[in-house]
Amino acid sequence: MKSTCKAILLVEDDEVDAMTVRRALKELHVNNPLVVVENGEEALGYLRQPDQVMPCIILLDLNMPVMGGIEFLEVVKHDAVLKRIPVVVLTTSDEQQDKVASFDLGVAGYIRKPVDYQQFVEAVRSIDAYWTLSELPQ
Amino acid sequence: MQFSNIINGLEEKDPLWLLESAADAMLIIDSMGRIVQANGAAETLFGYARAELFALSVESLIPPRFRATHALQRQEYAAHPGSRVMGTGLELYSLRKDGSEFAADISLSSLEDGYVLATVHDITRRKHAEEALAEQGTRLAAIVETAVDAIITINERGTIDSFNPAAERLFGYAPDDVLGKNISLLMPSPYREEHDGYLEHYLTTGEKRIIGLGREVVAQRKDGSTFPIELAVSEMHVGKRRLFTGLVHDITLRKQVEERQAQLIRELESANEELKNFAYVVSHDLKAPLRAIGSLADWISTDQAEKLDADGKEHLRLLTQRVRRMDSLIDGILEYSRVGRVREAVVAVDVNEIIKEALAMLAPSPHIRVEVAPDLPIIRAERTRILQLFQNLLSNAIKYLDKPAGLIRVGCVGHNQDWEFTVSDNGPGIEVRHFKRIFQLFQTLAPKDRIESTGVGLSLVKKIVEMYGGRVWVESQPGVGSTFFFTLPRSGAS
Repeated sequence: MKSTCKAILLVEDDEVDAMTVRRALKELHVNNPLVVVENGEEALGYLRQPDQVMPCIILLDLNMPVMGGIEFLEVVKHDAVLKRIPVVVLTTSDEQQDKVASFDLGVAGYIRKPVDYQQFVEAVRSIDAYWTLSELPQ
Repeated sequence: MQFSNIINGLEEKDPLWLLESAADAMLIIDSMGRIVQANGAAETLFGYARAELFALSVESLIPPRFRATHALQRQEYAAHPGSRVMGTGLELYSLRKDGSEFAADISLSSLEDGYVLATVHDITRRKHAEEALAEQGTRLAAIVETAVDAIITINERGTIDSFNPAAERLFGYAPDDVLGKNISLLMPSPYREEHDGYLEHYLTTGEKRIIGLGREVVAQRKDGSTFPIELAVSEMHVGKRRLFTGLVHDITLRKQVEERQAQLIRELESANEELKNFAYVVSHDLKAPLRAIGSLADWISTDQAEKLDADGKEHLRLLTQRVRRMDSLIDGILEYSRVGRVREAVVAVDVNEIIKEALAMLAPSPHIRVEVAPDLPIIRAERTRILQLFQNLLSNAIKYLDKPAGLIRVGCVGHNQDWEFTVSDNGPGIEVRHFKRIFQLFQTLAPKDRIESTGVGLSLVKKIVEMYGGRVWVESQPGVGSTFFFTLPRSGAS
C-alpha cells in the first residue's frame, strides 16, 4: 500500500476468510492496520464516524447478511466523500450479473477468492503491489 | 251450328284445331264417362293412341284405388255441372298405359249434353321440386334439431325466434320460456344491458363487433350460473326481415384445460426458477466453508509441520486434494446450471477458431497429434457454449489417451438440416453398456484418484447440444478408441 499508516477496511462476514486476509497480509509484510466489519451497514457506520480517517482501500465481500456488497456499493458510490475510496470486490461469486453490477458501481477490481490458500496469498500480493504503485487523491 | 253437332262430327273426323293446338292434354268425356275426344298432347301424356283412348272409360286413366270415388264424383258433377278445378288442395294422380302414375292438375269444363272437357296438366316436375324443397327443409330442421351446438335465431329487435334442443340443454330453458323474449336473457350483466344498444348500433351503423367474426363471450343459464362460450353470429335476410343466427359452442371444458395448462406452466416455471436459484445459492454457500477447510488445512500443515508425522502430513495432503475436488465439482454444477440460464448473444461462430482456442487452452502433450478437418463451418450460436462443447470433448480425448502415439481427429459433415461434428480418439474406448451413463451428471468411469474428473463435462456437452435442438451420441470399441458425434441445426439456436 502507498500509505502505510492508513487502514485497510475489510467487509467480510466469514471469520476464516477474514483470518485468511489477515494472515496473507502478515505473510506479505503489509503493515497497514486491518479493520474488519461484518457487513455493509457496519462498514457505513465505521466510515461515517466523525473525524474518521478514510481507509486507503476497501476489500468487499458480496454475500453478507444485513447489507450485502452491492447494496453497500450503491450507497458508497453515491456519497461525495466516500466514492473516491478504491473498492476491490473479494468474493466467491462467478456470476456475470455480480461482475456487471460491481463494475457499474465503479469498483477498482473484482477477485474471486481462490479455494487454495497459496493462491489467495498471491491475489493479496497483487492487490498490494498495485495499490503501492497507484496514486490516490488526498 | 250446334256444339253437339261439332262433337258428333269430331267423333269421326279431324279434331278441332283448337283442341289440337293446346299444349296440355285435353279429353272430352260423355255423361257415361266414355272418352269421346282426345288431342295429341293427351296421346303423348297417357301413352295411348287416339283410337285406343276412344275405347276407354275415363276411369281407366285413373289409378285403380281412386276409381270408385271418381265414378261417384263424376255422377255428382253431372248433376251440378260447372267449370272448376278438380280436387282443389288434393293430390290427384293419373295412370299411363304402361301402368305408371303421375301427379296431375285437372280442370273440368262442362259442355252441352253432359259432355265434359277435361284438361290434364302433368305436374310431376313441380311436385318433385316441392318434394325436394320439403326434404331440404326437413333435413335442415333435423340438423338444427340434432346439432350439438346451440343454435338460436333472433330478429332485428333481438327477440328470440328459434331455440334448438342443444340450446335448451345448454341454457336450461324450454323453448316456451324464451321464444318471443329478448336474447339478452341469456347474457349476464353487464352484457345483458348493453345488448340492445349493440344491436341498434349495428342496425344503424353497420359496424360489426361479433357478426361474422365469432368470439369468446360469457353466457348465463336459467339458474343464473355463467359459462364461457364461443359465439358465431351470422346475418340473413328472409324476405324483408333480417334475422340473426347465433351458433353457441360451450367452451367450459376447453377453458378448464387451458387454465390447467397455464397453471402447470406457472408451476413449472416457478420450479425451474427455484432450481436455478438453488444451484446458485447452494454452490455459493458450499464454497465458503470449503475454502475455510482448505485454508485451515494449509495452515495446520505449515504451522504444525514439526509436530506432524508422515501419516499426519499425508492425511492433510489428501484433505486438501478432496477440497480441491469438491471445489471443481461445485464449479461444474455452477457451469452446468448456467447453460440455458444465462443467455449470451447469438453470433456467427467460426468453428475453426473455436478449435484453435480450445487446443491452446488444453495444450495437449507432444505425443498427441490433433488432426482438424479443414474448412469447418461458421454457425450461429452463443460463442461460450460452442467453446465449452469442443473444450470438453477434446479435454476428455486428451485426458484419457493411453497410447504412446495419440491421435485425435475433429471432423464435420453437412446434412440438409444440420451439421454433424465428430471428435474421435485412439484412446481406451468405452464399453457399449456405459454409452448412456457417461452423459449423466457426475458419472465417471475411471477412479477419481487416477484421473481427476467431476463427471460434469459430457452432461454439459449433452445439455448444450440439446439446448440447440441437436443430438449427441458415441461410438466406441474398447482398446481401439471412441468417436463422439453431435449435431447442431444449420438454422442456429432453436
